[in-house]
Amino acid sequence: MLEAFQTIFAPPRHMILLIIAAWLGVSLAERNSESTGVGKADINNLAFHGFIAFVVGGRISYALQHMGIFGKSPADILSINPDLFDPLGGIAAGFIAVLVYSQRNNIGAWNAMDALTPLFAAIGIGLGLSRLASGGAFGIPTDLPWGIHLWNATRHPTQIYDALASSLILALVWRFKPSLRPGLLFLTFSALTAFSQLVLQAFRADAILIFGGIRQSQVMAWVALATSFVLIEARSSSKNQKAG
Amino acid sequence: MDRTHRVILYTLILIAGAAWIALASDASPAETLSAPQTGFYAPGFTLQTLEGETYTLSDFKGQALLINMWATWCPPCRAEMPAIEKMYREYKDRGFVVLAVNSAFQDKTQDIPAFALEYGLTFPILLDKAGEASRAYRVASMPSSYFVNPQGLITEVVIGGPMSEALLRARIEEALK
Repeated sequence: MLEAFQTIFAPPRHMILLIIAAWLGVSLAERNSESTGVGKADINNLAFHGFIAFVVGGRISYALQHMGIFGKSPADILSINPDLFDPLGGIAAGFIAVLVYSQRNNIGAWNAMDALTPLFAAIGIGLGLSRLASGGAFGIPTDLPWGIHLWNATRHPTQIYDALASSLILALVWRFKPSLRPGLLFLTFSALTAFSQLVLQAFRADAILIFGGIRQSQVMAWVALATSFVLIEARSSSKNQKAG
Repeated sequence: MDRTHRVILYTLILIAGAAWIALASDASPAETLSAPQTGFYAPGFTLQTLEGETYTLSDFKGQALLINMWATWCPPCRAEMPAIEKMYREYKDRGFVVLAVNSAFQDKTQDIPAFALEYGLTFPILLDKAGEASRAYRVASMPSSYFVNPQGLITEVVIGGPMSEALLRARIEEALK
């Protein structure tokens, strides 16, 4: 079954899974629009502006980090190669675009992030499935019965762990939505995602190691988790002060 | 839950998280297997050129490589050949080698000389007559390109194309490190 899945969605077709996930995520965000106070048209516009900024920002960030290379063939900044891309730069640009759009259209920044939370969670599921199809983000060898045969070894199915964790997070944030103050839905999603990555990154075989064996991705997840806790507390305190 | 209880809970979770990071650092992620994936040793092969010259992958240990799986009937393969040839000429003095593996088991080998002449290709073109290399590299789409560092480890896999000069430069520089 895994082999058939990997054949059908072999790279570059694995990107289809991400596109489907993003489309479903936008649909879920629209369904959730009433509880976040952001209209359906604004949700579509936020997703559209965020996506365009993600693509353009990711390419510009990559080009800035490789100025010498693009200096020799500047036209390649418009190349269709998706590999010439910096995902972190893209995410930063996407967030900035969402914030700018929300400010210009009098939508609270936290409301905008809450409105897009189902989209982020759905993309998490799509990312896990697309990595399962491509064989990326593979796990360390294991003799556990649910191990999958990948890259000449039986390994932890880290991509499936990621997809399941993201599914669970989506179900949780979907359930918690109505009573929360703006921002808490997104911050809860961030904390749950950071926590799941803190746990699951331990099973990844392609980790970058720092300080003699510590996984960089786990340290980043820990920092993201701590930051989410601080922001959740700040938002909750602000609510209490206002209530008082 | 009041604020004090929440802060205690956050602190406990973060302490447990830090302990988990320390515990997970024992598991070494280093791979010693060969597989067509970044971080693994490039699967070996022995193939011949049209002229009957034999090339074995292990002979290139100590050099950065681009293993490019292609066919004459594949439009993106054709489109990226000029850029690959240009990069080969630019980087070969630094020990960079291109091994263009033609999927001869699903291509017309008689078309290859005209193809090489049309694009002025000077790097070796190897014939995968039995599909041995394609199977080892699990080629599902063409072109498929594997950048290999001097230690024999795959540093990057690019599926599909055409690859631009900038992408080739970035990946070659990475492989040469």
